[in-house]
Amino acid sequence: MSHQLGRIVSQILHRYFGEIVQNVGYDLFIYGSKSINMIVKTTGLPRTRIVDSLRTLLKFDLATFESTDVFVNYKLLPENILLLIRYPRYLLQMKSKYGSEAEMLVEELLQQASCSATVLIVTVMNKYKDDKEKNINMINLKDTFISLVTAGYIQQAPVAELNEGSEAPILVPVETKVPELDLRDLMQAMANNLADVKDNTYWKVNYDRFHLDFRDDLMIKAITRRIDENAGELMRLLLEQMYLTMAPWAAESCPVPAVELRESARRLADRPLLQQHVDQYLRVIEESGGEFVRRCGDAGGGQYAVCARRAAERLLEALLDHCVTERLGSKAHRIFRLIRSKKYIEEEDIQKNAMLPNKECKELTYKLLEEHFISVQPMRKAASAGGTAKAIYLYHVKIHEVAHTVREMCYRALHNVISVGAHMRQSHARLLDKQRRVRSIVHGMRVRGEPQDNIDDVLETLTPPELAAVSAAEAKLRTLAAAEIELDRALFILTCYFAYPR
Amino acid sequence: MSESNDDQVTEKILNVAKKNPKGISDKDIAAAIPGLSSAELVTAINKLLQQGLFDIYNQGGSLIYRLKSQASKQAVKGADNEEKVVYNLIEEAGNKGIWIRDIRIRSNLANTQLTKVLKSLESKKVIKAVKCVNASKKKVYMLYNLEPDRSISGGAWYQDQDFESEFVEILNRQCLRFLQQRADKIKNNPRGPIVGRTQSYATAAEVQKYITDLGISKVKLEVEDVITILNTLVYDGKAESSVYPDGSKVYRSIESLITPPGLVQVPCGVCPLIHKCCSTGLITPQECKYMSEWLEQ
Ligand code: SF4
Repeated sequence: MSHQLGRIVSQILHRYFGEIVQNVGYDLFIYGSKSINMIVKTTGLPRTRIVDSLRTLLKFDLATFESTDVFVNYKLLPENILLLIRYPRYLLQMKSKYGSEAEMLVEELLQQASCSATVLIVTVMNKYKDDKEKNINMINLKDTFISLVTAGYIQQAPVAELNEGSEAPILVPVETKVPELDLRDLMQAMANNLADVKDNTYWKVNYDRFHLDFRDDLMIKAITRRIDENAGELMRLLLEQMYLTMAPWAAESCPVPAVELRESARRLADRPLLQQHVDQYLRVIEESGGEFVRRCGDAGGGQYAVCARRAAERLLEALLDHCVTERLGSKAHRIFRLIRSKKYIEEEDIQKNAMLPNKECKELTYKLLEEHFISVQPMRKAASAGGTAKAIYLYHVKIHEVAHTVREMCYRALHNVISVGAHMRQSHARLLDKQRRVRSIVHGMRVRGEPQDNIDDVLETLTPPELAAVSAAEAKLRTLAAAEIELDRALFILTCYFAYPR
Repeated sequence: MSESNDDQVTEKILNVAKKNPKGISDKDIAAAIPGLSSAELVTAINKLLQQGLFDIYNQGGSLIYRLKSQASKQAVKGADNEEKVVYNLIEEAGNKGIWIRDIRIRSNLANTQLTKVLKSLESKKVIKAVKCVNASKKKVYMLYNLEPDRSISGGAWYQDQDFESEFVEILNRQCLRFLQQRADKIKNNPRGPIVGRTQSYATAAEVQKYITDLGISKVKLEVEDVITILNTLVYDGKAESSVYPDGSKVYRSIESLITPPGLVQVPCGVCPLIHKCCSTGLITPQECKYMSEWLEQ
């Protein structure tokens, strides 16, 4: 747990839940696991506020608890806190894959953290029923919900069970069963008070399912960039086959027979080239596809395995490459990759292979060393005569360590981007607020159908310089928000890599 | 024995030697100058050797005298014995050159003396010192008019022992251009991806021909040289290499697996101060120039 992680986590908590939760969260982050009494002592906050904060954290799965005999200790889950900034991506994924109903459902569920299907559907229905554009209906919502559950994007929340003799409950995960939702019940719930609904199965969003989607997407895109769309499509088929037999995060999939791939390729009517050349594509992916796929047998026309772990490594390397290039230039990048490909290499050999002038090469090597992208291993020759044994210095790349370095940089960058955003929002708070108010007034007037002149009058309360300032600030905030999402994507590649134990 | 007689003998020997550029033995001299006593012969030969006109060799047990070539004779004119010894060692080494330490060991001269000799020879433009490319401190000596060997000069990439990085850079870019021209062949190739990939590959010989035709290089580039350049492309991550069944190396231009990640899109990712940037203090994100410039765009 690094200092940088703590900074970013506390900042995210501040943005989404306010100062008190931030304080409690950061306190937990620093001390690892703690009981309420201890938190009261270190933060000096009133006990009730702390309990509230903890409740929020627990509700959104941002902390856990475990009970010893005497205390209940709380622990922060920083990884989950980082997911908060990934929400826009989840929603986008839903929208593009299942349409806007799914987006609404998932959005509502993310906000509620967990709730029953009835409550969820009814709330969404109520929220958007006046919105003519969306034009949603109960049947669609219900069907979407069921298909999301089937696809694993939504799963049943764990239930709390009380052990005998203990006061603290434990959360027991339950296996997700696809629910039967009765439309009539839903309609009734809609008409009556939501509080009366007797639906005790609670649901929550399954982040992992989304992450699998993101990972697959990365792999497919990579293959597409390396070879072509047909190969990318074939990669998708391979991954699909992998999910049938293996745990999705397994380092390497079971062998998939080529016959089955041919079979599923035949079903893709819009890819005649792929249908025709499945075997060739398999070979090309295997040989030139960044080692994502491995041929592991000849039975049944060849068998192929997806090396997800290797793929994660390759993707990480690509990420590191970009980092080195942008930070230290393409020549340093060349040295970096040269060292990586040779495993261990002497300084002189670097110069020879990289084809760089002596001095520049040395300088760049030392820069790389300074920024922790490479490391050096001195090797003493067995003491030769005269005791003048000169040590040789071997350079090499410790991928795992470099990944850590880059992750820290990502945290820092993310922190900076968010804090600049917060700062900007603060300094333009008055203007942004004013604009919001004007907008809502104008909206109200339009709905009431008041004359255009009056509306213009209200609009003019925002002077042109004010308008310009507001729109400039908004543009900047948009850039920052986009940067945040992009940074999160980079973090995702890193997490993928760390997800596989070494 | 008179001086003039002596001179006559040496003259005669010289003439014989001139006729036989491969060298003459004692017997040849005796045959050419009948009635020459061995004592006279020895004095004459000694004198010639002293003047540095002759090289002396041992061939199959008998001594061979050979007339020195004109140039080298001139070169060491007025040189003393040490210079001659050193000169000979250097001449022997040819265009590979000889290291100063080896000269010292083989000539048995003291360090200071040797440096003096080398200096004087150098100032006469008889020999030159050449820096070795693969060991920057190491200097080797060779005759002035020789072209250093590839292993010493570093071949095409060096001009006066300086690495020509710009030249390498240009070649690197041109090679990449060549590979990129055919890189797209693999995409949706109607004849299948394997044929497509083969079409997108270029052998080193093809690249070499392209570079030669471009005429950007004054020196002649061998296939080997081009392979060195192509390998830098592989290290750059811009190309991948493979081997044809016949053993020749082929190259194909490739793209990175991912688009530039978010980290390098924000200023912090490339910021030299990132490790010094904190929430408070001199460098903070709120005050950061890089940030505000980036947001102004
Ligand atoms: S905020 Fe500015 S100074 Fe700080 S790391 Fe980012 S670019 Fe560098």
